[in-house]
Amino acid sequence: MLLPSFYDFCCRVKTISGNKALEKIPALLAGMNAYRPLIITDKGVASAGLVDVVKKAMENKLKIGAVYDDVPMDSDYKIVNDAVRVYRQKGCDSIIAIGGGSVIDTAKGVNIVASLGGDNLLDYEGYGAVKRKLKPFVVVPTTAGTGSEMTLVAVITDPDRKIKMNFVSYFLLPDLAVLDPRMTRTLPAFLTASTAMDAMTHACEAYFCIEKNPISDSFAFRAITMISENLLNVVKNPGNLNGRLALANASTMAGAAFSNSMVGMVHNLGHTVGALCHVPHGVAMSIFLPYGLEYNLHRSADIIGEILFPLAGPEVYASTRKKHRAERVIELIRKLNQDLHDATGGKHPRFLKEIYDRNGSPVVPQSMLPVIAQAIMLDGARLTNPEELLPEDARMVLEHAWEGTPLDRKKIKKGGRKVKY
Amino acid sequence: MNINKYPEIQPGKKLIKRIYVAVFMWFFARAIQAAAKVDEEVKKEVETIPANFTLRLIVNPEKAFPLFFYAKMLPRFIVDKGILLYGLQMIMGKDKKGKFRYQGSDPRGKKINLSMAFTSLEAAMMVFTFRESLCTGYAHSRFVVEGDLPFAQSIMRIMDLTAVFLLPKIVAKLVVKRYPKWSEMSPLRKYLNRVLVYLRMFTV
Repeated sequence: MLLPSFYDFCCRVKTISGNKALEKIPALLAGMNAYRPLIITDKGVASAGLVDVVKKAMENKLKIGAVYDDVPMDSDYKIVNDAVRVYRQKGCDSIIAIGGGSVIDTAKGVNIVASLGGDNLLDYEGYGAVKRKLKPFVVVPTTAGTGSEMTLVAVITDPDRKIKMNFVSYFLLPDLAVLDPRMTRTLPAFLTASTAMDAMTHACEAYFCIEKNPISDSFAFRAITMISENLLNVVKNPGNLNGRLALANASTMAGAAFSNSMVGMVHNLGHTVGALCHVPHGVAMSIFLPYGLEYNLHRSADIIGEILFPLAGPEVYASTRKKHRAERVIELIRKLNQDLHDATGGKHPRFLKEIYDRNGSPVVPQSMLPVIAQAIMLDGARLTNPEELLPEDARMVLEHAWEGTPLDRKKIKKGGRKVKY
Repeated sequence: MNINKYPEIQPGKKLIKRIYVAVFMWFFARAIQAAAKVDEEVKKEVETIPANFTLRLIVNPEKAFPLFFYAKMLPRFIVDKGILLYGLQMIMGKDKKGKFRYQGSDPRGKKINLSMAFTSLEAAMMVFTFRESLCTGYAHSRFVVEGDLPFAQSIMRIMDLTAVFLLPKIVAKLVVKRYPKWSEMSPLRKYLNRVLVYLRMFTV
């Protein structure tokens, strides 16, 4: 076991998981002296009937102040300010977020302004602006992938300045994360696949990037095991509630892992492709993950090789020679992507040129690759990647990921001392 | 209760380490300024930074350099000059003409856009004595980055390139993630820029 010379780890979210977990919310909120929550969600979640499931689970035990369901795909600070007004007018005393990453981040923003006063989120931008405990905050994730319920960051857009603002504080961590299989039951197969691959990427990158530590390793290890054991099964049998619960747990554990260990080049490329070409985050993660592993192979082969244990099980791990384990990991991730592609009838893309929008146009034209490669320098995930990633390296990786061919290992530039963890 | 029995604990002096870090920061800031003038790649990185951008590299706690305690006794012009009197920090900024310049260590009246704060003197020593690279230092929380984060990447790249020009390969390899090969940086560029950076550091 590798022990870094220094690390920090913080995860203080109470997590409840299981069938009928939602029914526990009223009692747990009452324990925090909160009796009138504001539910924050989006139209998609509301129309899928998931808010009704939560309401029904809490009926007669808790009075809901209001349901705010106007959160868009990319939430901005005006939405947050709007939701704060609803929170105050309805006399709410806590927040329940039901949804994916955007909803959870919006709810974190609402909690800042509702707790600290004022009427504009922009007053609290950046690191260190939130310095005290906020209102009771419950998160009910409806996708098994983002892990936002375990992170201390909220990313909210400022449409006037056309930037994404970061709000970072340990006080943004929710008080309670509720994992109930009823909340992900209606998630379509292709979204189940891509969001779970997002969680898989969180776990893998947390495990091999340079900020890894023994505590996040254990979260990542178990998350990879649960995803590899259940993902394909759930995609083929969407009604498998136990499998869905396992994926939700895996996503939460991967969230706790990457929130403390940070991520690397897979997220660097994914964020950039998402910002410039609007590629869904989970899709980008599933495409770039094998390339991220392959690119860092010469630096961290031993550590990547250890991922084979949770990914394929003890028998495969023991029967594979140490020097072949890392290669086998990459092979298995590619195979998983291929299996998901087949199981979803081709809706799970394997490479960039397979991503199409609703009109059938390619989302990532080949001509965009140099622009994407140049833009990777603006993302912080580059720093914690084991190998240096510069625009020319990124372009080489992007070209292979666009075509769907393995990396040309001779083109990977090497040099520098062994990675120090 | 005699409250005087419980005196306030003052941070240790560690004079030699403080002087080393102060001198290193001065050298490094001057080297970055020189590299931004002579190397095309550094110039390109500087171009991505907006005008009037100010960077502060600081060792916490602020105002901990011993000379600060003697500031009141020193002549005013020395205090105003600021070097070594405002704690261990270096301030660099890009002016309206696009020049990236060292602006001493006086933060008064400056709007800091990006702050890289070492958590302690020992943390700064880990990085400045090359026991940890900048990236490893970041991963080990030796310093905290606050402000306009996207530009932190450009600054880190500028620092890496400056280290390559400034230091011999055997030391620079400890500082950067990947030491550039000849195909990435020709020997002519590396050695010529090294000479120019050293010349400009002490002359301009």
